[in-house]
Amino acid sequence: MIEAQHLTKRYGTTVAVDEASFAVRPGRVTGFLGPNGAGKSTTMRMILGLDTPSSGSVLVNGQPYRKLTDPLRSVGALLDAKAIVGGRSAASHLAWLADSNGIARRRVTEVLDIVGLSDVAGKRVGTFSLGMNQRLGIAAALLGDPETVMFDEPINGLDPDGILWIRNLMKSLAAQGRTVFLSSHLMSEMAQTADHLLVIARGRIIADTSTDEFINHNSTPSVRVRALQPTDLAATLTRRGGLVERCPDGAMIVTGLDSAAIGGAASADDITLLELAVHGASLEEAFFELTRDETDYHAGQLTGTSQGA
Amino acid sequence: MSVTTCIRTPGRPVPVTSISRTLKAHILKAEWTKLRTLPSTWRTAALTLAMGIGFSVAVAFSEISQWHTMTAQQRQVFDPTSASLSGVMIAAVVLGTLAVRTVTAEYSTGMIRSTFSAMPARRLVLAAKAATMAAFAFPVTLLGNVAGFELGQRIFAGQHVAVAIGHPGVLRAMFFGAVAVSLVAVIGVGIGGLIRHTAGAATTLALIIIGGLTVGQFLPAGWRQYMPGIATQAAVTVHRSAGLLRPGTAIVVLAVYAAITLGAASLRVAHRDA
Repeated sequence: MIEAQHLTKRYGTTVAVDEASFAVRPGRVTGFLGPNGAGKSTTMRMILGLDTPSSGSVLVNGQPYRKLTDPLRSVGALLDAKAIVGGRSAASHLAWLADSNGIARRRVTEVLDIVGLSDVAGKRVGTFSLGMNQRLGIAAALLGDPETVMFDEPINGLDPDGILWIRNLMKSLAAQGRTVFLSSHLMSEMAQTADHLLVIARGRIIADTSTDEFINHNSTPSVRVRALQPTDLAATLTRRGGLVERCPDGAMIVTGLDSAAIGGAASADDITLLELAVHGASLEEAFFELTRDETDYHAGQLTGTSQGA
Repeated sequence: MSVTTCIRTPGRPVPVTSISRTLKAHILKAEWTKLRTLPSTWRTAALTLAMGIGFSVAVAFSEISQWHTMTAQQRQVFDPTSASLSGVMIAAVVLGTLAVRTVTAEYSTGMIRSTFSAMPARRLVLAAKAATMAAFAFPVTLLGNVAGFELGQRIFAGQHVAVAIGHPGVLRAMFFGAVAVSLVAVIGVGIGGLIRHTAGAATTLALIIIGGLTVGQFLPAGWRQYMPGIATQAAVTVHRSAGLLRPGTAIVVLAVYAAITLGAASLRVAHRDA
């Protein structure tokens, strides 16, 4: 369980995290979604007591992180898999972490096994690929068998097998009743892994909702349709309240009418349909819809600023 | 009825002393594991011994080769012990740099965040780094001192100026030399925490130790003896010589530098974002 209250981080005049209040609950995978520079990593560093909030507070399992005894037994985190001194072996890296929180050394062997690094336990970490480093970072996070786990962009550098593995791992950790908090800018990945979403843009939490609800509320389903008489179809659909967008390939994207209404209209007007496909809304679209006014730089704004300057 | 219980319950925290004692033990153990599992630690120790003993022998040869040109007074103040322990200067620089790196390597890679997530008591972490590094530097330097002394005395035996290991002050000189290098290692950890970049911190340390020998020439004689490098030299003397502190005073001076540097680094590391 992670609870933030008006969590704020300012660097000079820049506000990296702005009055963020949220709770990350156990038993489900919570995705922390936002564009680069939105404040995800800063928030995570504040959760871990690495950065001090300018104002507000954040508690982990009911306590400020820095007050936890043997914190690795409560919270396991992977911030940056490459942030590791390369001279040690994987087993030695986990050994000092275990020692620091009074965790038995046999746990090192166990977690190496869980992440599939047993064969390279004695190899220098400096020779590892990014994917292997990610696995080592996850092993480190699981070392203390913590109630809460937190991963910053964990699928970076993983191959498709690795991505599937990590997705299942997150889900199984949540199924065990743990709090799983996962940041990503990859929305498709979030759609498949996260049950709940916390969306951040320009330091502000702009959505805190279930993944399904988020997609339903923030995107409009559309229908792709192609007809032998496109002009006639466009006219009849517009008359019935549809919004029609013509594509270069002759197809049109229709919003405001569902596929049944479109099919009915075509048949009533004797129009021959060549294609009729429901275009399911994606998390990606929902995200862009929601953050349209929130992202720091987009074309219109950029022009406006340069003219104003 | 009041009973003493060892069971930790949410409403009743375990006594603070026992928490902090376990905490300190865990942090010390973790930092020692870090130091000993890095292969470069052992390569550095081997390098310290090879270069340190080599330097001690070279200086001993150079001193004795000038014996016939020395005045009677120079021969009078000749200190065969310190003349065979010049390797402490090498140990100070090489092990001091290793100490710097125990901090800067973590900052430059970003691993410091893993360290401070696992051990949020940052001042204790820095203290543990200093303690383990000092404990490591001590036996390495002492071994180098014993070897340097034995080889040096063989060289001096040619002019019949060699001293035995049991000679008054000899064991103290070897011991103080190792203590001085341990204190330089603590200074190294402190500089690492203050500067955080390997190149900058290592250069600073080298300037403080070696640079003190050259820049120190321009300082008034009374000040020069307080330079850390000169104090390290003074720690291994048996004869009292002009321009050098007494060995005991030299150790105290180095301990003060170590306390100031480590204290400043502690404050800085504890209060800034990692």
